[in-house]
Amino acid sequence: MDNSAADTLIRTHLDFLRRHAPFDRMEADALRFLGERLATAFYPAESEILMPGDGAPNYFYIVYRGKVQARQTGGVAVTEYSTLTLGPGEGFPIGAISAGRPSTNGYLAVEDTYCFQLPAADFLKLQELSPSFQLFCTRYIASLLNQSREQLQVQFSQRAAEQQTMTTPLSGLIKKAPVSVAPELATRAALERMVEAGVGCLAVAGEDAKPVGVLTQSDILKRIVLPGFDLTRPIADVMTAPPHTLNANASAYDAALEMATHGVRHILVVDAEDTLKGVISERDLFALQRIGLRQIRSGIESAADVQALQRASRDIRQLALNLLAQGIGAEQLTQFISALNDALTRRIIELNLDRHDLYGVEYAWLAFGSEGRHEQTLSTDQDNGIIYVLPEWADKEPLKLRLLEFARDVNNDLAACGFPLCEGNIMASNPDLCLTFDEWREKFGSWIREPHPEALLNATIFFDYRVLYGDEKLAYALRHWLLSMTGGNPAFLKAMAANALDVSPPLGKIRDFVTDDDPRHPGTIDLKKFGARLFVDAARVLSLRAGVEATSTAQRLRQAGGRIGMPAEELSAMADGFHFIQLLRLRHQHLDTDHGSSGDNRVKPDDLNELDRRILKEAFRQARKIQLRLKLDYQI
Amino acid sequence: MNWLSRLLPGSGPAVAPALRSTLEDIAALPAPDLSRSHYETRYVVVNTETGPMEGGGQRLLAVGAVAINKGLLHPGDAFQARLGSAPADAMANLLRFIAKAPAVVYNAPFNQGTLERAFENNLGSIPPLEWLDLMVLMPSLYPERIAGQARMDAWLGAFGIERLDHRDALLEALAVAQLHQVALARAKQQGLGSPRELLDAQSSRKWLRGS
Repeated sequence: MDNSAADTLIRTHLDFLRRHAPFDRMEADALRFLGERLATAFYPAESEILMPGDGAPNYFYIVYRGKVQARQTGGVAVTEYSTLTLGPGEGFPIGAISAGRPSTNGYLAVEDTYCFQLPAADFLKLQELSPSFQLFCTRYIASLLNQSREQLQVQFSQRAAEQQTMTTPLSGLIKKAPVSVAPELATRAALERMVEAGVGCLAVAGEDAKPVGVLTQSDILKRIVLPGFDLTRPIADVMTAPPHTLNANASAYDAALEMATHGVRHILVVDAEDTLKGVISERDLFALQRIGLRQIRSGIESAADVQALQRASRDIRQLALNLLAQGIGAEQLTQFISALNDALTRRIIELNLDRHDLYGVEYAWLAFGSEGRHEQTLSTDQDNGIIYVLPEWADKEPLKLRLLEFARDVNNDLAACGFPLCEGNIMASNPDLCLTFDEWREKFGSWIREPHPEALLNATIFFDYRVLYGDEKLAYALRHWLLSMTGGNPAFLKAMAANALDVSPPLGKIRDFVTDDDPRHPGTIDLKKFGARLFVDAARVLSLRAGVEATSTAQRLRQAGGRIGMPAEELSAMADGFHFIQLLRLRHQHLDTDHGSSGDNRVKPDDLNELDRRILKEAFRQARKIQLRLKLDYQI
Repeated sequence: MNWLSRLLPGSGPAVAPALRSTLEDIAALPAPDLSRSHYETRYVVVNTETGPMEGGGQRLLAVGAVAINKGLLHPGDAFQARLGSAPADAMANLLRFIAKAPAVVYNAPFNQGTLERAFENNLGSIPPLEWLDLMVLMPSLYPERIAGQARMDAWLGAFGIERLDHRDALLEALAVAQLHQVALARAKQQGLGSPRELLDAQSSRKWLRGS
């Protein structure tokens, strides 16, 4: 019919869009595409525009005139804001429409509002047409990622506060039922009861369970032993009365203050009826403050035996929980865990060197796999080996035996400190993994020359090696050689790439996620196998190709990706996706290990909140993106 | 006999064969069901551009029309034409664009009157369209905003609607169309859920205020 009318109206759309980001920098073709497809709708003040119950949104909305408020609905807060006001030029719901899921927020017109509406399918097409718009949406999703991290922070700081801080209520610190006796009881019997229960503080309470006094170990010497107190007399005659009591709702801080003020080491905890609930000692409070990065570190470095290191190992776990609570991202967190585990391993090695004389031997203790990548989570078993130099004058066998005996002790001590022995025997005490420089080179070389499946699997573990103790030069020389071998070997890289593409991201065509069909774990996704590993494997191929020495996945992505010309924004979106999956794994392992069962990597998408699900989906999309890149580069 | 027959040769000015076939096509279109909700209905907002006529009065120079289909205003569903040297074609094309949808104007005595005169003069007859006049409806729908009849600018201002160019029939129709979206939202709240109910209310003196 008459297109001049349409052109005129489209021009009014374009005039508006050009005044607002991100449309102001949108490519001309894409802007025209958008302008042609926007329809205007009116929403009177106080009316609903889009609600979570509406299902997957049909439209992407851009506020044309008026104000729209995004409000969280439902019990679980998934974003940092409870309401957010959107004005002209602002669009919604980017996350939901990208993910094809119902919106988490309800969107309401707070004034009379006109919205431009773009059909959902056109929204996705627009992203294809417009790199700048796609970038905008990616950044937006990334900001959701940050919000989700902050959400995790809140969740964990609650947990950590419950367990950790000086604001913890005393009710949460009581470890066992109080040991109490009646005031009439003979002192001898009371003392026997104390010994029997192994407590340093005896509460004295009447039949109504209200505490009337207290006797502590230090009182015994001063009041009973030295004065020759008659043990047949009732305990009431020698106890401290009245006792210092605090309500169970009082905080650990209150208790510390009470102890400091009155110079006592124990506080009786009572409930609202003054009934005895428990005893808090100075030591209980001290434990709260004990755990910090520096303390753990100096604890490790000065540890005299494995028992001390076992304590440190438990502290590392606790610290990890605290750090998660403080909102440290997965990258830094895993680096912290990694640094402390490194220190722990080094100390174990040092302690063992007292018993194993390796003086004058050139060797290095290597970490492989996730430890080699600085990406340990909390349930990682050991993957280690030794590289050494055989001096010309020495016999190989005796030297190797010495190294293996040393390694066996180190492996066992590591196991005692919470790093389970490797089921696949990837340990330094395995003669196949305690090798000279030349033997390692031969081993690596054979995998590169003949990349059969087992060789490739080995490459994914061993090529991520890193020196934990000993001679760094050996490892450096090996790395240098390795990169020179792989960089110029397209056939090997292609085989590695094909291996990395073995597993696809669990994104479904119909459902959001494809979950495991293993009947033992219905509805779950293994975030290691189907998540983290996709990034790790792809990043490894890139690093071997581009000659990047870093072993951590994020570093590899940034450095190697940059060298082969992938845009920095894309790379950091990929790294974000990887870190989000790592964060979910850590969180999951934490929650699990707190319940006493061993941490695994299986997450039920249905159990995640809406935002996490959305971001997880985006993270998988990033995995798909990097896989696509490998596919294209290696024509697989 | 429908209204078209009055447009046919012999009953008025001569109509070219091509035009006649256009008019037959339009007549064959199914009539919309006016009892459906506003959000299942296509409305066409029509606006005129006029100039002084010799001997007094206003002459239609151009028409602009914007559809509100299922509550949405889509830029592709718009029409404009200058009457120029082929006024019959322009009017027939407008009629084809309206396609029997309820027509919406601001100030019916002027706009509807001007349009009907132009239909009659150029096509030989007045098509039986359903007309809604926002000048009449708005004070009854939004009595708290403006009591009594007001100029269009007052209503546009009340809802923050920009009038991009008041000399352009199409851009003014765009503004009126946005006003019509506002009207539909309140009509629905007041229980006037369909074009039929809105038309009935318009003709009921009891409901109307300030007219």
